[in-house]
Amino acid sequence: MSNVAVKASKHARSESRWAYLMVAPTVIGLLVLNIYPFLDTIKLSFSKTLPFGLYELRGLENYIEMFTSPEFWRANLNTLYFCVLTVPLGLFLSLIVAVMLNAKIKGQTAFRAIFFLPMVVAPAAVAMVWKWMFNTEYGIINTILMNKVNWITDPNIVMVTCAIVAIWSAIGYDAVLLLSGLQNISKSYYEAASLDGATKLQQFFYITLPMVSPTLFVVMIMRLMSSLKVYDLIYMLVEEANPALSKAQSLMYLFYRESFVTGNRGLGSSVVIWTVALIGLVTAVQFWGQKKWVNYEV
Amino acid sequence: MKKLKKVAVLPAVCAAALALGGCGTGSADGKTHLTFQIWDVAQRDGMQMMCDAYTAEHPDVEIEVQVTSWSEYWTKLEAAAISNQMPDIFWMHTNEILKYADYGKIADLTDLYDETDPGYYEEHFSEVSLMNVQGSDGRYYGVPKDKDTVGLVYNKEMFDAAGVAYPDETWTWDDLCEASQKIYDATGKYGYMAYGDDQLGYWNFVYQNGGCILKEDGVTGGFDEQATQDAMRFYIDLQKEDWCPDQNYFAETSPGTAFFSEQGAMFLEGNWNILAEMNNYPNMEGKWDVAVLPMCPDPASGEGRATISNGLCYATSPANKNLDIVKDVLRFFGSEEGQRIQGESGAAIPAYEGLEQTWIDVFDQFDYRLNVECFVDMFDYSVQSVNNKYRSVWKPDVSEILLKIYSGEMSFEDGMAGMQNALKAAAEED
Repeated sequence: MSNVAVKASKHARSESRWAYLMVAPTVIGLLVLNIYPFLDTIKLSFSKTLPFGLYELRGLENYIEMFTSPEFWRANLNTLYFCVLTVPLGLFLSLIVAVMLNAKIKGQTAFRAIFFLPMVVAPAAVAMVWKWMFNTEYGIINTILMNKVNWITDPNIVMVTCAIVAIWSAIGYDAVLLLSGLQNISKSYYEAASLDGATKLQQFFYITLPMVSPTLFVVMIMRLMSSLKVYDLIYMLVEEANPALSKAQSLMYLFYRESFVTGNRGLGSSVVIWTVALIGLVTAVQFWGQKKWVNYEV
Repeated sequence: MKKLKKVAVLPAVCAAALALGGCGTGSADGKTHLTFQIWDVAQRDGMQMMCDAYTAEHPDVEIEVQVTSWSEYWTKLEAAAISNQMPDIFWMHTNEILKYADYGKIADLTDLYDETDPGYYEEHFSEVSLMNVQGSDGRYYGVPKDKDTVGLVYNKEMFDAAGVAYPDETWTWDDLCEASQKIYDATGKYGYMAYGDDQLGYWNFVYQNGGCILKEDGVTGGFDEQATQDAMRFYIDLQKEDWCPDQNYFAETSPGTAFFSEQGAMFLEGNWNILAEMNNYPNMEGKWDVAVLPMCPDPASGEGRATISNGLCYATSPANKNLDIVKDVLRFFGSEEGQRIQGESGAAIPAYEGLEQTWIDVFDQFDYRLNVECFVDMFDYSVQSVNNKYRSVWKPDVSEILLKIYSGEMSFEDGMAGMQNALKAAAEED
């Protein structure tokens, strides 16, 4: 009896050693590339940074400067506005695309590939092409509309423009995730429902939506996080010389400008820490809210 | 168990091998291998030719030219400076030189020529060129590489269509506006495209009018001076004319793009872009030419002429392991021979005085010969590009205020006060 126990523990020990070895590359990578820089950022957010990696600890100075700066609050508003524009509409459209891709149609695989394509293209390339299409004087969109809308330079429109491009880029990826959720729904529910005389619309609301809600929840969290962190798209679409910059500047864009244009990495770091806190808060609220609408029963 | 050890050792060995490979100046062929970092791919061949000329005479040295794009160059160089792994030789720009010099990251090269010719710098380089290589302490932290000026680029066909004479050295601001109006009336195309840029825009106008962006002390701004304000107002108001696109237009279409797609007749361009534009727009050859900047008709002080002149230099780290060899290479880069090779490659106008013609001659290769002499003529009244060590802090603020004036979000007077404050705040923050 005892013999067996010793053997088992020996075995377990060697197995756990292997396990540690296997996770080591990931853990080391995380420590070096994520955890250490994150701790460093926290330190920097309490410091005044000088060139060449030098810094002086200055306590809360950066945070005080940040919270009293109108530019910072403007960036918060811009970021939230961007989320409001992209997340609900993006999710809605992704779900519709997913449902349509789930239907039995000819060339289903081809359609799935087409919708997924924007995800494969580099964001910088996407932004460049859209920028040309949105050009006031020579762009194809204004040519079709026979109008002269300042898509990129009008402070009131610029965020809508960014949102259009963001939604376009994200639909394919989100739809593929949702599609995998849809395919897990057993056909028998629909058969039973149609026998009972439920319409397609009723089937969508009473079967599809509740059954896909766990996937929808995951997609929503991811989409909201990436919207709060939006940077590359706005950077590519809205240049330094754009008069609408202040109405398009997101939190991460503000971080970039403070850290790399002005060279004030301390203040830039506080903006990052604030954004991390904001994302944490929003995600916590979502996890609390999911109890009300996400259905985990099969 | 043995197997396990082997597996654990493997990554360590790999890491060690990588580390060894990383600092591979330890040469197997007994030569000294130097790296030379630049940001302009168009100048790679010229730089390589210059290095080859040196290594032909010094077979024990090898120099490798590496190109990093402008956008990554400074991030990389700063990271290299922090970890003491800077390239052996690199280009330095006036935007950054004060920072690097003041923090001791680039070597003081003031006495580079002391053994051979103590007055070498002053003898062969202009005052503006030497100001561009100085640290805040007035010592030389680089060997002058090139110098540049800003000129007026114009579309000949549009001038012909409107029946207006081409710009020449007699032109004033009034002629610029008048010609723009006539071209707009006759062709419907834009005239002079005045966009919100400093070096290729309002700085030139301010100095022509006798104003300044930075006062003599190099710290206080000049935005409170009447001469500066008058020139700024003139320049900013140009966008109110029908013949000039507004800042919204420029946010989407740069003046260069508009010019070479034949949407506008004139814009300000630096001489460093001209060769590339000749090569990139072969269909436009013969349709455009260059002229000196128009002068201010009634300057508050001075002659009414100015153009902003900037210049790069070659620099090295004071911690370099082969500092003596590197200094010898730099001495060659600053020599007449080194500068001549650079000029003949068409890369840029050599900083070395008397070699300007080498750059001009490069344009003989084209069927249509641009009047590039004008860029060299303007050195007679060129003004050093505006710079102090706080520039990276105030420049974004000043640009932002300029945009607000353009969009009407801020009045002109408030804008000028704001710019003046931005310069003051940047200096005080230090």
